Amino acid sequence: MIPDTLIVDRGVTAGDAWLTVDSSNVHEALAGLKADGYTLLVFITCVDHLADPFRTWPARYELLYQLRNMETKEQVRVRAFVDGDPPHVDSVWDLFPPANWDERETYDFFGVIFDNHPDLTRILMPDDWVGHPLRRDYPVGGEVVEFSEEHALWQTPPEKA
Amino acid sequence: MADAAGESLTVMTTEPEGMNITQSGGGAFGGELLTVNFGPHHPSTHGVLRLVVDLDGEQVKRVQPVIGYLHTGIEKQMEALRWQQGVVVTDRHDYLSPPINNLAYALAVERLLGVEVPPRAKALRVIMSELSRLTSHLVWMGTSGLELGAMSMLMYCFRERDTIADMNEEISGFRMHTSYIRPGGVFADATPRFLEMLDTFTHKMPGNVDEYEALLTDNPIWRRRTIGIGRLSPEDAKVLGATGPMLRGSGVAWDLRRSMPYSGYEDYDFEIATSDLCDCYGRYLVRIKEMRESVKILRQALDRLPDGPVNVDDRKMLPPPREELETSMEAVIHHFKLFTEGYSVPPGDVYVAVESGRGENGCYIASDGTHKPRRVKFRAASFVNLQALERMALNHYLADMIAIIGTADTVMGDVDR
Repeated sequence: MIPDTLIVDRGVTAGDAWLTVDSSNVHEALAGLKADGYTLLVFITCVDHLADPFRTWPARYELLYQLRNMETKEQVRVRAFVDGDPPHVDSVWDLFPPANWDERETYDFFGVIFDNHPDLTRILMPDDWVGHPLRRDYPVGGEVVEFSEEHALWQTPPEKA
Repeated sequence: MADAAGESLTVMTTEPEGMNITQSGGGAFGGELLTVNFGPHHPSTHGVLRLVVDLDGEQVKRVQPVIGYLHTGIEKQMEALRWQQGVVVTDRHDYLSPPINNLAYALAVERLLGVEVPPRAKALRVIMSELSRLTSHLVWMGTSGLELGAMSMLMYCFRERDTIADMNEEISGFRMHTSYIRPGGVFADATPRFLEMLDTFTHKMPGNVDEYEALLTDNPIWRRRTIGIGRLSPEDAKVLGATGPMLRGSGVAWDLRRSMPYSGYEDYDFEIATSDLCDCYGRYLVRIKEMRESVKILRQALDRLPDGPVNVDDRKMLPPPREELETSMEAVIHHFKLFTEGYSVPPGDVYVAVESGRGENGCYIASDGTHKPRRVKFRAASFVNLQALERMALNHYLADMIAIIGTADTVMGDVDR
């Protein structure tokens, strides 16, 4: 059972139930939900709320964990807002093994650091890629064509995250 | 925390709770492991999948998939496209089942907008989804058969796949990336010729499936290469988040079309195909059964195809008919607005999951209220199923990897997006 003290906010959007927890409590909340029968982690992702014209958000990055109870067919989406450069959150890989690649993908695309992840490296982008391409301040078409002259300048080792 | 090239790309170095990978040393060569690179351009990896395999003699002791070779930035592209333009991109991540990806995206956008499509559109969506499930299974069976020595499978399977491609062409103008299912309905109504072709197809296809079974089900080579290979227990399949034939091949009756119905699937009579064998052969049987069930669904959809419109009657979402443009000023304004700015979707987020040929393909959309999505995420079944590869391949021979990769049926476009 997930204690009410962990839940900051809850609601239903377009038919999907969700609850918000503090980013430091993500692991505890997901462990509670797993014990409640939400055993399938459908996906983990992140939304970058940089410069949203219509709404102010608690933080720039919103992490989303979609969970499903395969017995009752109920779903819940856990939200956690994180800020910082780079943002940090606890890994849930030990609770849900499929989170391994989802967290690597979120790190790759948004630069969110998952603490205690066994091997947080880039997964879809090349290992020497600079920047995190799904951040909203990363331009579409901003990358140079591979093997072109400009590419040599672009291809510098990434900063240690 | 490390990021540099050259760092090992280890997957599951320690055992997570609930999993029991036993990496026993002390094999044929005294536990000395040989690391072999497999792919990315190996013909049997179904695309550009690279595996770093640790071998003890010929036995697989560790598998580390290295993915990303087919990454095309689809999710980033979606953020730069208007809502109705995004459909074209959704065709291209899981390139063996485009209408199913269209459907996930269309349903998600419709849920945010709060619109429901007419019954005829729902039935046409089901028809296109089932046809693409058939093509996806046919490609899987043809290529997997080819890899394991049943050379003629490819010819037989691609014969029917071509019939379906002809039908796609008839209804949408495209043979593969149809973009047929769109937010608000479908591209166009089914032509009489399409319905005729579908009718012939549903009568012919069960016989064709018998033909495939005659070639494979009792084929001694096929059986020896698949039975007992790539075991995935129901517990492991659930813990690893596997969906689709991977999960049903392990005896778990979970099919989103039944378990969490969408687009009117609750009205069709079909069975969830499962197999308790938990191995490559079990997954093959599941797919064969699914093909038969798909034909059943197609038959039912065709027999009671409702009449009526195929699109929502909403001028703010879909362009007005061409003839109205000459007489109505309002139609011209709507037309202009739709093709310059597009429509806006209310703020909020939604996740819709559909059952594709290889598992749960979902679409998560976050909208900030503008005419372009803030974030689109595709939950790819292949991406998650591929993580179970190590569990299935452990302690098998390297040659069995071909069967295991084959029956996992990953599409690299879907994995890498």
